[in-house]
Amino acid sequence: MATQTLSRPQQDQTVDQKIQELRQLYADSPVGKTALENSIPALREKLAKGLRSNESAGRVGLRQGKVSELTLIFKFVPGGAKRLRALLQVMGANFGTEKVATVHDQRFVFLDNDTKLLFATAYDGDSWDTYLDEFATKIPDELDMLFSELEEFPGFRDPSVKDWIAKYQIPAENWYVAHPDLTVRDIRRLKRIGKAAEEFLDKIG
Amino acid sequence: MATQTLTTPKQKQTVEDKIQQLRQLYADAPEFAKTALENTLKDLASTAAQPRSRMESAGRTGVRQGTVSELTVIAPFAPGGAARLRALLQLRNGNFDDTDRVGTVHDMRFVFLDNDTKLLFATAYDGDWDIYIEDFVAKIPNEMDVLFSCFEGWPGIHNAKVKDFIANHQIPAEGWYVAHPDLTVRDVHRVKRVGKAAEEFLDKIG
Repeated sequence: MATQTLSRPQQDQTVDQKIQELRQLYADSPVGKTALENSIPALREKLAKGLRSNESAGRVGLRQGKVSELTLIFKFVPGGAKRLRALLQVMGANFGTEKVATVHDQRFVFLDNDTKLLFATAYDGDSWDTYLDEFATKIPDELDMLFSELEEFPGFRDPSVKDWIAKYQIPAENWYVAHPDLTVRDIRRLKRIGKAAEEFLDKIG
Repeated sequence: MATQTLTTPKQKQTVEDKIQQLRQLYADAPEFAKTALENTLKDLASTAAQPRSRMESAGRTGVRQGTVSELTVIAPFAPGGAARLRALLQLRNGNFDDTDRVGTVHDMRFVFLDNDTKLLFATAYDGDWDIYIEDFVAKIPNEMDVLFSCFEGWPGIHNAKVKDFIANHQIPAEGWYVAHPDLTVRDVHRVKRVGKAAEEFLDKIG
């Protein structure tokens, strides 16, 4: 998604046009139509503020502020779902993830009768490449164990691994983050400051 | 997923049993995966014993780690639904201050699947499933209908069946990790304020 460089009047015009297009599209949705009309004033207000936007996270995916999204759907190899489930039951979804310290959250969801895996994560940084490089450097064994359950996985030390991931990534159409100004490390720092402030106030209190 | 209430010796035993099971399951995995498993088993044992990595139920469906829960829904689009939603999302371009107002959503994504025939909606939110949904119904019903009327069979946010609709299409995660499971969205607002105040204070005395 390109960065917006339109002037204010141009933007307003675009918004009007888009709202008109929306009305046409929603004409055949009974529930949606009324709801759209009711929400147009608020929608305009929101867009006028223009506080947030979605930008590219690099090779694939969207970013809002400092936080990007990555959504993958892979096919399991035979027996892969069974092994991964057992693995997740033992260790939860923390695959040395804390060592990397750029992951806000991540989920593993099994789809279509255990034939496919949905992996979705929120991570720090404006570069898809840097994010994956960091994983490959810090926890290659954990990643190999995890992803070896998936079809065509080349191994995390193989240079083609990024192409493999890009091939199965489905970029989001929209991405929202409550605190786009904070990385995982920023939050950690703020927690420490908060704790220190409390201790300080306790001492002088 | 049931809450773990085992005593520590029992937990250790369970972890060892599970690791044994894992080794058996990995017997027919590719060689590099077996090696990777062995390489990480040491870490694995300590990770598995850590309370922070434990997942609990988020209520009706889905899992929770600490205060943060996951919700993953995949449902077919109604005819024309994908085109409507795409136009709406393009207009919004990441603007969701209505979601800010609800104040319990860490992140959310809309992903179109299988040639625009299905929508994947995935979010990280604070607390219990029922309360979370009720909060949305109470605070931004219109926005919910505009977004989710793209689904085939969406009953409408004010319909009593809306929770069943969501639950029926939700697929609970098998694994869920959160970097800061101790912080709600509102907690993060608070620590930001404290951080700012502390900086200002230090500036003044500095």
